[in-house]
Amino acid sequence: MRTLWSCAVACLCLSAVVRPAAAQDQPEPATRAGQIEQEQKAKVLHPYQPNQAEKWLNYAESTLTTGSGFHPFFISAYSGGGFTLGAGYLKYISPYNTVDVRGSLTFSGYKRIESEFIAPQLLGGTTKLSVLGGWRDATEVAFYGIGQDSSKDNRANYSFEQPYASTLLTIRPAKGLFKMAAGVEVSQWQSGSAGGRYPSIDTVYTPATLPGLGAQPTYIHTQGTLAIDSRLAEDYARRGGFYGVTFHDYADTDSAFGFERIEYEAIQHIPILRDTWVLSLRARLETTSQKEDQEIPYFMLPALGSGSTLRAFSSWRFRDRNGLLMQAEWRVMVNRLLDLALFYDTGKVTAHTSDLSFDGLKSDFGLGVRFHGPMSTPLRVELAHGDEGLNIVFSSSSSF
Amino acid sequence: MSLSRIRSASISCLTLILALAIAPVFTAGPKFYPDDPLQREPESRDASGAKEWDIGLMYEISMNLFVVPRHKPSNTRAGNVNTIDELPDSSWFTNRIGRLPLRAEDIQRGPNTGKPPASERWVIVAEKQGGAKPGFTAEDANGDTWFVQFDDKDRHEASTGAVEVATKIFWALGYNQVETFITSVDPKRVDFGPKATVRRPSGERTPYTRKDLEAVLARAQPNDDGTYRAVAGRRLTGEVLGGFRYSGTRPDDPNDVVPHQHRRELRALRVFGAWTNLTDLKAGNTLDTVVKENGRSIVKHYLQDVGSTFGTANGIYDWDIGYEHFYEGDTTAKRFFTLGFGLSPWQTVPYTEYESIGKFEGDRFDPRAWKPQTATPAYMEMRADDAFWAAQRVMAFTNELITAAVHTGEYSDAAAEAHLVSVLMKRRDKIGRAYLPAINPIVDPRLDAGGALTFDNAAVRAGFAEAPTRYRAVWSRFDNAAGTSQKIAETESNSTSMTAPKDLPAAPGSFIQVDLSAESAANASWREPVHVYFRRAASGWTLVGLERLP
Repeated sequence: MRTLWSCAVACLCLSAVVRPAAAQDQPEPATRAGQIEQEQKAKVLHPYQPNQAEKWLNYAESTLTTGSGFHPFFISAYSGGGFTLGAGYLKYISPYNTVDVRGSLTFSGYKRIESEFIAPQLLGGTTKLSVLGGWRDATEVAFYGIGQDSSKDNRANYSFEQPYASTLLTIRPAKGLFKMAAGVEVSQWQSGSAGGRYPSIDTVYTPATLPGLGAQPTYIHTQGTLAIDSRLAEDYARRGGFYGVTFHDYADTDSAFGFERIEYEAIQHIPILRDTWVLSLRARLETTSQKEDQEIPYFMLPALGSGSTLRAFSSWRFRDRNGLLMQAEWRVMVNRLLDLALFYDTGKVTAHTSDLSFDGLKSDFGLGVRFHGPMSTPLRVELAHGDEGLNIVFSSSSSF
Repeated sequence: MSLSRIRSASISCLTLILALAIAPVFTAGPKFYPDDPLQREPESRDASGAKEWDIGLMYEISMNLFVVPRHKPSNTRAGNVNTIDELPDSSWFTNRIGRLPLRAEDIQRGPNTGKPPASERWVIVAEKQGGAKPGFTAEDANGDTWFVQFDDKDRHEASTGAVEVATKIFWALGYNQVETFITSVDPKRVDFGPKATVRRPSGERTPYTRKDLEAVLARAQPNDDGTYRAVAGRRLTGEVLGGFRYSGTRPDDPNDVVPHQHRRELRALRVFGAWTNLTDLKAGNTLDTVVKENGRSIVKHYLQDVGSTFGTANGIYDWDIGYEHFYEGDTTAKRFFTLGFGLSPWQTVPYTEYESIGKFEGDRFDPRAWKPQTATPAYMEMRADDAFWAAQRVMAFTNELITAAVHTGEYSDAAAEAHLVSVLMKRRDKIGRAYLPAINPIVDPRLDAGGALTFDNAAVRAGFAEAPTRYRAVWSRFDNAAGTSQKIAETESNSTSMTAPKDLPAAPGSFIQVDLSAESAANASWREPVHVYFRRAASGWTLVGLERLP
């Protein structure tokens, strides 16, 4: 307390010294204008100095505006890799065209490194060209057997490494609703045994019981898409729809594992009461057909189970030659940056297209939150429940 | 005493000492100076040293969404009002409506003093800086430079009309506005200046090409004949410094001594914004320039872009603009925990929507509940006396003046124009009803040499309140040097005039204080007196002070 009093006394003494001197410098103004002018005269001028938070946000704004420079990259080498960390560096090499070099690593050791060239403004802004090359390594990919009736307890693991190079041309004529895409990819799937908590696949199956086991096919994969897309953006939309079909041809250079796959997909977002809610519906059908005298390797079969299909089921939980998926979400607009969603997923895989019915579907439901911008969903966190228990989904993209 | 307390006490002492050392020290001056009430804010210092700054949008929005709304208003009187609670003219504001007898043609002319653009030829000299609407900067056939802005696709006449009409309204309200005209652009008669460039996504600047023009026009709404309706704003003279902030002062402008959150004209944007639905209150829509006035450089402050008004601030799929900030914790929680069933007013308000006007209505409008996209510090600091002042100006817009202002939008749809006029009238009246009776509404006190005191009641005059049962005046001698008063007498009246007591001081230079209150069962706040001060001159009494709120 004595310290406080000492301070107060010191203050009084000092102020007694200071005040008369200052008062002599500042004669009392005789007018209101004079009073204000004296205040203006006394103002100490200096350039504006942004604080640290402002500097950081200005830097972030500048980075986000151009997108160039270092950026986070959360895409795993392969679905099921778990929590992913990664980074990339994007550089403009012309006014619009970019090259992005990026890589990621998961806690379970999945690795991806790749580089992508994108020319987004070709042919008057109607056409986007992507050229991608890279390598990935998935060390513990789950395999539960083939078919809808496979057991969760029969998990085995396989691994693969894959160098790949691809090009994809996406065209929106007149920047309208129609969307076309065509691409070609060359890649080699170097599948093999795996470690981890589960038995390696080659200890459970043989090439005779599991087509493609130990295979290392080199594919020339061509694809073409025709679609009508009325969504504002692929990664976040509250209205509009996508109706498309994509044809894939996988030509094995050794003519052993060639096949074709067709994906039919329909998405519709239906806003309700001024976007208070959005009913979002998705249906996807995948069919495959092997080329003459060739087989479809197990690791290339359509699959269900992951953060964007059957969300309560593990990645790659169900595999077979055909797949049917139907999803419904009741999205709640909480604010401009956050959505809440109740969802229901159902689907099945079958050996024959004739079995693609609504019988025997696997289903789940759940609740999730999505942090989003006007056109993207940087973070989606969901809790899903199904026959095989609970599953938590973390994703850096929208569900559909 | 703990170390932290000792440190805290020491810091307090040092701060006090420093404050005493550097602050200008005035001995207690009189309450009123001979030049009160000021009619013009002094701007005595040369501001030529002020430099351009860039106010980051992300920082400003983050602050205004997450920090500013938590700020508890200081409840301090606006710092730039004069002693009679009015705004002196300044580099920010010029008294027009409510002070000048504006006619319809005055409003329609607004800030325009020069000729409209010669639109038979345009030469693009720069790409558009900021703003979501398509446009560019171009020279017209006369060589004058204009900021040209188009309507969004499928919103014919919306953006251009809003800019034109709102510019006239905000000019009449007193803000510095850019000269604007509705014009047209024929793409076939557009050329490109040698220095015109476009900043590409890479950050590189390359020459402006016809493809760039086509990209701009692809977002705009064409007329049937292939031309484009546009609004052209004349380029301001003077050195451009960037926008102004809604808080603090410019550290490089010596004349800027009142923190912006305490400037009444910026606080009042909460009312004017509600009236016109000017929701985009950000620095990017303002502009400071250094101009020469009376041989001295001063910073002049513009509300540069008032185009996000009426229903145009709402996108086609936006309904919450004007009702909620971009982020609010309580509505977020409500919608989250009720799965969206906890509805907000904007989700059910009915609109009669016109393409050129957008979502703009007056029946459910509540001026007190209106919100801009983000809260500014000035918005947060508005007090009842600021709102009262602003509401008087809104109410000064007669039906004729509103109709005249809206007509400058050159809307081709007469029904849309009539709708905008009608909604502005409804919203005007709701503002008057909300803010005029809210505090003691006594205005325009006058005391003649014979001792007859007259005044007016703004709320009663506008028809928004019943006349009070009686008015009461407490008369006092006022010692201007000491700031003390000595009661003389009390008088009462059931009208807006009463006679002063006989023993008022008669010496020139003497002051009296009159505390005017009203007895109204419906408006208890009217019992709080307005403090009015008169100075005796040879010819009679002059109003020198009015304090509606302490």
